[in-house]
Amino acid sequence: MNFPTGAGTDHCKRMKLLPMELILGEVPWIVVLIILPLTGGMACFLFPTISKSLGLLTSLAVISCVWGLGWQLEEDGAQRYAIGGWGAPLGIDLYADGLSLVMVAVAALVGLGISVYSSSYFRRDKANHFWPLWLFLCGALNALFLSSDIFNLYVTLELLGLTAVALVALADGSEALTSAMRYLLINLMGSLFYLLGVAFLYHSFGSLDIAILAQRVEPSPAVWAAVGLISAGLLLKTALFPMHFWLPAAHASAPAPVSALLSALVVKASFYILLRMWLEIFPIVGISFAQLLGLLGSAAVLWGGIQALRQTRLKLLVAYSTVSQLGYLFLAFPLGMSIAWKGALYMLLSHAVAKAAMFMAAGNILAAGGHDRIADLSSITQRLPLTLTAFSLAGISIMGLPPSGGFIAKWLLLEASIQSGQWWWGAILLLGGLLAAAYVFRVVSHVFTQAEATHEAREVPARMEWTALVLALVVIFLGVFASWPLAMMEIGSPFGGGS
Amino acid sequence: MNGIVSGFLLVSALGLPLLLAFPPLHRRLPWPVHIALLPAIALVFIPVDLCIELPWFLLGTGLGLDAGSRWWLAISVMMWGVIAIFLLPPNGRNVHHPLTSLFLLSLTGQMGAVLATDMVSFFALSTLMGYACIGLLLADADETIRRAGRIYLVLLILADIILFEAMVMAEAISEDLGFATLARVISLSNSLDLYLSIVLVGFAFKVGLWPLHIWLPLAYATARPATALMLWVGPVATGLLGVLRCLPLGEVSAPMPGGALLFLGAVTILYVIFFCFKRAQRRQQPAYFATIVTGSFVMGLGAGLSDPALWSGYGDLAPIFVFTMGLVLAIMIVSFEWSMAKGEISGANKVDRTLLESWFEAFVHWGRRAGIDTLPDFRALWLARRDGLRQKRIWQRAFDAGEYFLQRWSFALTLFLLLVIVTVVLLFLDAAAVL
Amino acid sequence: MNWNTALPLMVLGSSLLPGLMIFFLSEEHVVARTSLNLASAILKIVLIGGMFWGMLHGHHYESRLALLPGLDLVLRAGPLSMLFVLLSAGLWLVTTVYAIGYLEESPYRSRFFGFFSLCVTATVGIALAGNLMTFLVFYELLTLCTYPLIVHRGTEVARKAGRTYLIYTIFGGALLLLSSVWLYTLAGTLEFTDRGFLSGLDTSLHPTLILIFALLIAGLGVKAALFPLHGWLPLAMVAPAPVSALLHAVAVVKAGAFGIVRVVYDVYGIEFATDLGLTLPLAILASATIIYGSLRALFQDELKRRLAFSTVSQVSYIVLGIAVAGPVATIGGLIHLVHQGVQKITLFFCAGNLAETLGIHKISEMNGVAWRMPWTMAAFTIGAFGMIGAPPLAGFFSKWYLARGALDAEQDWVILILAGSSILNAAYFLPILYIAWFKKPPDSWPAERSFGRNETSWALLIPTVVTAMMTLALGLLASAPFSLLEWASQIVNRGFAQ
Repeated sequence: MNFPTGAGTDHCKRMKLLPMELILGEVPWIVVLIILPLTGGMACFLFPTISKSLGLLTSLAVISCVWGLGWQLEEDGAQRYAIGGWGAPLGIDLYADGLSLVMVAVAALVGLGISVYSSSYFRRDKANHFWPLWLFLCGALNALFLSSDIFNLYVTLELLGLTAVALVALADGSEALTSAMRYLLINLMGSLFYLLGVAFLYHSFGSLDIAILAQRVEPSPAVWAAVGLISAGLLLKTALFPMHFWLPAAHASAPAPVSALLSALVVKASFYILLRMWLEIFPIVGISFAQLLGLLGSAAVLWGGIQALRQTRLKLLVAYSTVSQLGYLFLAFPLGMSIAWKGALYMLLSHAVAKAAMFMAAGNILAAGGHDRIADLSSITQRLPLTLTAFSLAGISIMGLPPSGGFIAKWLLLEASIQSGQWWWGAILLLGGLLAAAYVFRVVSHVFTQAEATHEAREVPARMEWTALVLALVVIFLGVFASWPLAMMEIGSPFGGGS
Repeated sequence: MNGIVSGFLLVSALGLPLLLAFPPLHRRLPWPVHIALLPAIALVFIPVDLCIELPWFLLGTGLGLDAGSRWWLAISVMMWGVIAIFLLPPNGRNVHHPLTSLFLLSLTGQMGAVLATDMVSFFALSTLMGYACIGLLLADADETIRRAGRIYLVLLILADIILFEAMVMAEAISEDLGFATLARVISLSNSLDLYLSIVLVGFAFKVGLWPLHIWLPLAYATARPATALMLWVGPVATGLLGVLRCLPLGEVSAPMPGGALLFLGAVTILYVIFFCFKRAQRRQQPAYFATIVTGSFVMGLGAGLSDPALWSGYGDLAPIFVFTMGLVLAIMIVSFEWSMAKGEISGANKVDRTLLESWFEAFVHWGRRAGIDTLPDFRALWLARRDGLRQKRIWQRAFDAGEYFLQRWSFALTLFLLLVIVTVVLLFLDAAAVL
Repeated sequence: MNWNTALPLMVLGSSLLPGLMIFFLSEEHVVARTSLNLASAILKIVLIGGMFWGMLHGHHYESRLALLPGLDLVLRAGPLSMLFVLLSAGLWLVTTVYAIGYLEESPYRSRFFGFFSLCVTATVGIALAGNLMTFLVFYELLTLCTYPLIVHRGTEVARKAGRTYLIYTIFGGALLLLSSVWLYTLAGTLEFTDRGFLSGLDTSLHPTLILIFALLIAGLGVKAALFPLHGWLPLAMVAPAPVSALLHAVAVVKAGAFGIVRVVYDVYGIEFATDLGLTLPLAILASATIIYGSLRALFQDELKRRLAFSTVSQVSYIVLGIAVAGPVATIGGLIHLVHQGVQKITLFFCAGNLAETLGIHKISEMNGVAWRMPWTMAAFTIGAFGMIGAPPLAGFFSKWYLARGALDAEQDWVILILAGSSILNAAYFLPILYIAWFKKPPDSWPAERSFGRNETSWALLIPTVVTAMMTLALGLLASAPFSLLEWASQIVNRGFAQ
C-alpha cells in the first residue's frame, strides 16, 4: 500500500499534472469504492463458476481504488460528493476524510487477505454462497465508512449486519446456527436503537446530514435521549464489556475467514459510527458519559483478558481477546485528546490486521489438526511453522510490544493518559498488555514443546499459511513505518487541530 | 645498544620461565628450571643499574634492577636453583615432572616481584607467585601440607584484599605507584597512619607473623626442608620485600607502627624458640631458623620505622642481611637433604580443623540448607498460589458464573437497557451541571 | 542515502537478514547455515570496524526513521554505543562458532540460529539506539527473541524457566514503557544527550522525576538481574550453553546494565541524578545485589547455577560504578561491562564443554577433571581468577577503578563491599579449581564422548581459549593505546562537566 506524500504547494502541482494523475484526480473514487464491490457481488451471484476469480479481482480493484482515493485526498484534502448532484439537505452526501480513508484502507487490505485466504478455504458449494455475501459486505462497509448521512449509515449498518449473519451461518452444525440466530437478534436490536436515536435527531433538527447536524445541534432532552439510544445501540453491536456475550460464540463458531472478517472489520464499523458521531455531533456531551465508556472499556480489557486466559479452545481464546482489545478503543473517550483518538484509531487499525491474521492462523490449525484444544496443540503446531509464526507476530501486536502497530497505539494512548493526568487509564493499558502476553504465550509456548505426532495431520494449503503470515507482517510494518498511517489520519483533521 | 640488551635481559628473566611453564615447551628439556633461570643469572652479574619502561603494560609499569634488588635477585636465583634440584629431580626415563609448571610460575612471580618498580606489577606478580605456591602445596601428597595450603590460601586472599585497598589509597594520594616516588609522597600525606596500618596488616597476613602464623607450622611440621625453603623464599621473603618497598622507611618517624613491628618480630622469634624448637625434628630446623630470620628482619624494620636516622644509616644493609641469611639457609638445606637421602616420609595424619575451616564449612552447609533465596522462593510460592487460585473453585465459579449470566438473554437485555438508562441519566446530569 | 546514514542500518541488517534467511533453511543444510552464520558475524565485525574507524576520523553516523510526531527511531554511533556494539559483535562471532559445535546433530537448529541472529540484532539495536524510544523497541524485541532460545530444549523445566523469564521481563518492559512515555510527556524529547536532557525541567517536577527514575531502574533492573528481580536468571540456566553465554555475557543482562548506564548518563545526566539524590540508593541496591548474588552462589552445587548467581553479583559492579557517580568509578563500571562479558562467557563455555564432553553438570562431579580436559580447565581458571579480581587479569582493573573511584567520590564504604565480594568470589570459585585440579579423577565420567586425541571438539575448544586469552589481554594491555580503558575514559569525560 503505497501512499504518496507530496511536497510543494498545490499550485505548482496543478501546473505539472500528468495525464495519469489527471485521471486519478477526476474519477469519483468515493462512488467507485461503493459500487465496485456491490457489482462484483452481483456478478459472483450470477456467475458462480468464476466467483473465486471475480472475488479476488474485485478485492484487488478495491485496493487500487483506495489508493486513488488516498491520492485524491492528499491532493485536495477532505472530499464531499453529492450523489446525483443533489446537495446535502435534500440529497445524500458522501464524505471522505482521513478517518474514513484509514477505515476504508484497512477494510480493503484485510479484505484482500480474506479473499486470498477464502479462495483456498471454502469448498465449491460453500464458496458459491460465500463470495456474493462477502462482496456485499465489503460494499456495505465501504458505504458505511464513506457516508455522511445518519440514515444512510443505518441502511449500511443493516446491510452489513444481515450479510454478516448469513456468513456466520455458513458453518456447519447447530452451534453455528444458534449463534448466527443470536447474532441476528443482536444486530436487529442494535440497529433498532440506533434508528430510534436517528428519529429523535431528525425530529429535532430536520436534517440527517452529519455536517448540518453538527452546526444545528444544541443541548435539549431530545438530543440526550438520541445520544443515549444511538450510543447504546452501537455499543451493543461493538460488543463492549457487558454486551459482549454474543461475540465469542459467533466469532468462534464461524468459518475461519468469516471469524477474521467479523473480528477485524464488522465490529469496527459500529465503533466507527460512534466515533464519527462523537467527534461531529456529540461535542456537547458531558464528561461523565465519556468516563462511563472508559470504565466499561477497562472492564472489557480486564474481563476479556481473564476469560481469554481461561479458555481451553483456541478460537474462543482469540475471540475473547477481541473483547479485550475492543475495550482499548473506548479508553480514548475519557481522554478526548487528538493523540488519544489517533491512538485508538491506530489500535483499531493494527487490531484489525492482527486479529485477522490470528483467526486465519487458528483456522489453519483447526484445518490441520481437526481440533483447536489448546492443551493438545503441541503436535500440530510443529508442523505449521509459518502459521505459528503468523500467530506469534500478530500476538506481538496484541500484547502491544514493539515493533508492532499495537505498540504505537499503546504509546499514543499512554501518552494521552499521562498528559491529561488520568494515569489510571494508562495502568489499564499496561495491565491489559500483561494479560495479553499471558494468553498469547499460553499458545506460543506449545511450539517449543517436544511432542510426538499423535495422528495424521491434513495438509493446509500454502496460500492459507502465507496469507496469515503476510497480514501478520503488515502489523509489524505498521509498528516501524507509523508515520504514513498517522499522516493519513491527519487529512481533513477529523480530530481537531493540535495535539 | 646497552638499553636493548638490558631490556631484553629484564624481559626474558621473566618471560623465559613464563614461556617454559607451558607443559609442551618444558616437557622434553632436562633441568627446565635452571634453563629458565639463565637470564636472571646474567642479570645478577651485570654490574650496572638497569631499567625499562613499559607504559602500555598493566597500568603503565616498568622493570628495573638496582644495587638493593640485585642482592634479592641473587638470593632468589640461588634458592630457586637449589630447591629445584631437590623438589623436581629429573628421573632419567621421564624427564617431565607434573609440578614443573607451577614451580616455574611461582619462580616467575617471585623474581618479577623483585624486579618490579611499581606497586601494581609487584602486586600482580606476587599474587601469581602466591597462587602458584599454594598450587604446589595443594598438590603435595601429605594431607597436613594440603591443609596448610588451604589455610594459606585464605590468608593470602585476605592479604591481597587488604593490600589492594592500600594500593588504591596510595594511588589516590600520589597518582603514581612507582616505588621511586611513592615513599616520599606518602610521607607527606595526612592519611599516613591509615596507610601504614593497612600495609602492615596486609603483609603480616602474607608473611605469617605471630598471630597469623597458623599455616607455617602446619606446613613446616611435615614438609621436606626444600619445600619449607621454598615457602620462605616465596611468600615470606617476597612479603618482606613488599614491606620494604611500600613503607616510607627513612622518610618518616612513626613510633606506633614501628613499635608494633618490633613487638611482633620479637614475639615471633620467642614463639619459635619456645614452642617449636623443643618439639622439632632435626630436619625441620631450617624452617624454624627461617622464621627466626623473618622475625629479626621485622624487628629491624620496626626499628627503622620508629627512627628514620637509624634506617638511613643501616637500611642499605637489609638486602645484604637477607642474602647472607638466605645463603646460610641454603647450605643448611643442602646438607639436610643430602643427609636424609634415605627419604623416609612421615606424616601426622590427624586432621583437626581450624576454626576458620569449620566456620566456612558450617556456613556453606547452613546456607545450602536454609536456601535463603528469598524472592525466587517467594515467587515460587506466589506461582503456587496462583495455580492454587486457578484450581480454587470459588474463583473458577466466579468467572464461570459471570460469563454464564452475561450470556443469558434476560440478563443481557436487562444490562443493555440499564446502560441506556444510565447513559441518558448521565447526560442529563452533565447537562444540568453545565446549564 | 549516503554512507553515514546507511552504515548503522547495515550493521543492524548484517545479522537481521541472515537471521531471517536461516529460518527458511531446512535442517539438512548444515553447510549453508554455518557459512551464512559465520559470514554474517564476520561481516558485522567488519562493518563495525569501519564505523569505528570513521568515527575516529570525525564522521557522524546516524539513521533516522520518523515513527511518531516528534519521535524518531534513531540509530546513532557514539563512543558508548561502540563499546557495547563491539563487545556484542565480537562475542557473537565467538559464540556462533561455539554454538555450531555445541548443537551438532541436535534438532531445530535453523530455528535456534535464526533466533540467535535476531537476538544479536536486537542487542546491536539497543547499543546504537539514539533515544529512549528506540532503546525500548529493541529492548522488547530482545525479550521476544530470547524466549525461544531459553525454551529451546522443550522440556518441562525449560518451559517453566521460559515462563518465569517472560513474567519478569514483560513486567519490566511494561514499567519501562510507562516511564518512557511519562518522560516524553514531561520533557518533550527522548533523545540521548551527553549530560542528560532533564536538568532544565522545573523544580516542582523533581519528585515525579525521582519516581520515574525508580520505575526505569525497576524496568531495566529485571534484565540486569538487580537484587529482588533476579529470579529468572538462575532458572534460565537450563538453556543450552551458547544461550547462557548469550544471556549472561553478550545480550540480555548486558542490555539491562547498559540501559541503566544510558538512563543515568544520557537521560538524567550524572550530575543531575546526583543532585536529585538518586545515585546513593542505586549504589546501595547494587551493593546489596553484589553481596546477595555472591552469597547465593556459594551454596550452589550445580555449576551453571553457581555461575548464574555469580553473574547476578558481577553485573551489579557495572551499576555500582555508575552509581558511585565519580568519573573514575564510572570508568570502572564501563570497563566491567566488557570484562564481565568476556570472563563470564569463558566460564560458561567451559561449563558447556564439561557438559557436552563428559556429562558433568555438578561441581561435586568435577573431581580431577582438569587432567582430562586441561585446556578447558585452564581457561576456566583464568576466567575464575579474573572474576575474583586477581591481577593482572581483566577483573582486577574493574575493581581497581571502582575502588579508586569510590575513594575519589568519598564513598569509602564501597571498598568494603568490594572487599567482601572478592572474598566471597574466591570462596565460591577457588573450591571449584581445587576440586578440578587437585582431587583424584574418578574411574569413569558420567557421559563421556570421545574426540580422539583432543580433549573435546575444536569448535568448542577454540572459542573457549580465545575468550580466555582475551581476559588475559584485556588485563595485561590495559594501558596500551586504543585500549578499552582509554576509550572508557573518553566516554566518561563527555559525561562530566569538568
